Amino acid sequence: MNLITKIAWRNIMRHRGKSLIIGAILFVGALIMTMGNGVISGMDAGLQKTIVHSFTGDIVLISDKQESDNVFFEFLGKAVAPIYNFSDIKKVLEKQPYVERALPAGKNMAMVLNEEGGTPGNAFLLGVDVKKYRSMFPGNCKVIDGQMVGDNEHGALVPAEARKEFQAYTNIWFMPEGTTLDSSRLPKEVKPDYASLIPKTNAVLMGFNEDNSTTDIRLGIKGIIQYRALNSLWGRFIVIDIESYRRCLGYFAAADKIAIPASDQKLFTMADENLDAMFSSESLMVHNTAKKGLKPVSAHKTAAAPSPAAVDVDAGAYNMVFVLLKSGEDEASSIKKLNAVLKEQKLGVRAVSWKRALGPVGSMATIIKGALFVFVMFLFFVAIIIIVNTLSMAAIERTTEIGMMRAVGAKKGFISIMFLAETAMLSFVFGGAGILCGIAGVNVLALCGWTSDNDMVQLLFGGDTFHPLLTSVDIGLSIVQLAIVTLIAVVYPTKVAQSITPLDAVTRD
Amino acid sequence: MNIIETRGLKKDYALGTTTVHALRGIDLAIEKGDFLSIVGPSGSGKTTLLNIIGCIDFATEGSVRVGDRDITSLSDRQITDIRLHKIGFIFQTFNLIPVLNAIENVEFPLLLMKNHSKMDVKKKAEQLLDAVGLGEYIKHKPAELSGGQRQRVAIARALVTKPDIILADEPTANLDSVTGASILDAMREMNKREHTTFIFSTHDANVLKYASHVVKIKDGLVTKE
Repeated sequence: MNLITKIAWRNIMRHRGKSLIIGAILFVGALIMTMGNGVISGMDAGLQKTIVHSFTGDIVLISDKQESDNVFFEFLGKAVAPIYNFSDIKKVLEKQPYVERALPAGKNMAMVLNEEGGTPGNAFLLGVDVKKYRSMFPGNCKVIDGQMVGDNEHGALVPAEARKEFQAYTNIWFMPEGTTLDSSRLPKEVKPDYASLIPKTNAVLMGFNEDNSTTDIRLGIKGIIQYRALNSLWGRFIVIDIESYRRCLGYFAAADKIAIPASDQKLFTMADENLDAMFSSESLMVHNTAKKGLKPVSAHKTAAAPSPAAVDVDAGAYNMVFVLLKSGEDEASSIKKLNAVLKEQKLGVRAVSWKRALGPVGSMATIIKGALFVFVMFLFFVAIIIIVNTLSMAAIERTTEIGMMRAVGAKKGFISIMFLAETAMLSFVFGGAGILCGIAGVNVLALCGWTSDNDMVQLLFGGDTFHPLLTSVDIGLSIVQLAIVTLIAVVYPTKVAQSITPLDAVTRD
Repeated sequence: MNIIETRGLKKDYALGTTTVHALRGIDLAIEKGDFLSIVGPSGSGKTTLLNIIGCIDFATEGSVRVGDRDITSLSDRQITDIRLHKIGFIFQTFNLIPVLNAIENVEFPLLLMKNHSKMDVKKKAEQLLDAVGLGEYIKHKPAELSGGQRQRVAIARALVTKPDIILADEPTANLDSVTGASILDAMREMNKREHTTFIFSTHDANVLKYASHVVKIKDGLVTKE
């Protein structure tokens, strides 16, 4: 056995009491650190699953004209700038190897009018192609009453949370089309108000248009939905079909797209300053070759909204595009790459992370994660102080031994390595045991499957279920953290030991 | 040939607001192979002189030459090398490494030198422990040995690197007279066999008969050589 290892091991055994104190601190520290890493990692994975894979994707594309990156929860629900060129954006996204898929969506605030004359409510509208939305975020919500909005269908999916809020403020009780008020199907907390409920199977939504006007639409309620998690946050998002959304917000809808005959397209290509040409007989004055009795041809759009199936839905306005990255792709670098391409292609949109798009909610997740990390680091800071103190005391107590070693020719480096070896052995044995117990603890906690309805707790859990998770990277991180703690803890005691001279040993005697 | 030379060696200690003059100007020349005793009453400066010669303390003034090197201007690393290669120590309180057994204590300086094979280290340590009469105690920890046995281990450890000089600060002070005599016999034997220079301090008159030369110190000055 190497001389240093031998001395270190025997010193550990000789000073069992101190070794046990340091070992216990390292054990508890490593245990908490490993479990903390498990919670943080589980929270990260949970948030990925709950938010990224259920609501926003990894990246959100928003218009360059949009001032704030926070497009979901901006104070007072300020309008989100529209995007009119999704067809072009889609082509670019399809070429990016790191992009798994993308979904355009409209998102803005709308008033939910009270036809009984009372105070109107408000809600966020999420205008999407419902089928594609369900495909992009499978399982993010379930229908608890009624049904999903079908293909080529106009309609709304009202979250149970929003329904409860409207009922509390206006007594309006939203129900799916084709159903009647049935007290036996009401939630327990609503049953006492049964007599005063105003049942509604459709909602009148008033959207605020870009030109400061408003548009009201009446939309049938197809179903009542419940999100898988974070209902107090997402429960205010009413999902409606994209074409209804556009009409409500006064946007250019896909149905508004008209075909311009080739002969009329000359009007768009004429030079503005050539007034003579504009009023020339070739452009406006045409020979009427139509036979008498035929109806005149009109290039005007029809006012009636056709079925979405008949139009190119992507041609209309959106407010954002949710982008899901391929598994293993780094979010930050993907945003960088994507922004470079979007800028180069002059598409007028920018990519932001889901956290930035969520504003304070995204920050809250980061803050909770940061707080947990700080807590774990604080524990280690305390552990370091105790270990430093104990080791320094041990160094001073061993003045005679260390001084004598120096007297017979041991260099300062030998003393440093000896101290490091002692602490490293304790770290390896006790810290290693702490990490192993932490791994076991994380697995036990994961098996417990604790759930919560509280949104703050759900943010901490990263979803509705507490599912701490340890990857090999996390375990590696725990080992690295333990090694760092060991190194930091040994620096000062080593300095103390190095400062011991042979003379100290002699004079102590 | 002088193996140690001191010129105008002074050592002052600050003790609160006063300064203690432990050495007031020592001029000394010690020949190679000498078995020299430094005697004097307590507080005369014997230990201070040995510490400075042994490179474990520094002079306030004056010079010390060990072999062909002036040690007063060397770095900590160079001083440590001199302690390892040139000087052996025998302390009054034995000062062995408590977690190592007798043979490991003797092997310790050789292992620090890093230029000996494991077999060589073990063989040398065993030979020396045999020579000091501890062949049967090589696996004993210091706590399992008597005072005399520990001091013999210390002698073996001091000799194992074949140093030019061995410094012993009152090596028999904590031993009974019979054990003390046997330790001095062992030291004398090594001095004759290895031609190692021994310098030991004592205030025991019985010890003086072993010395080939005696230096008397009083109040930090050499009074008689």
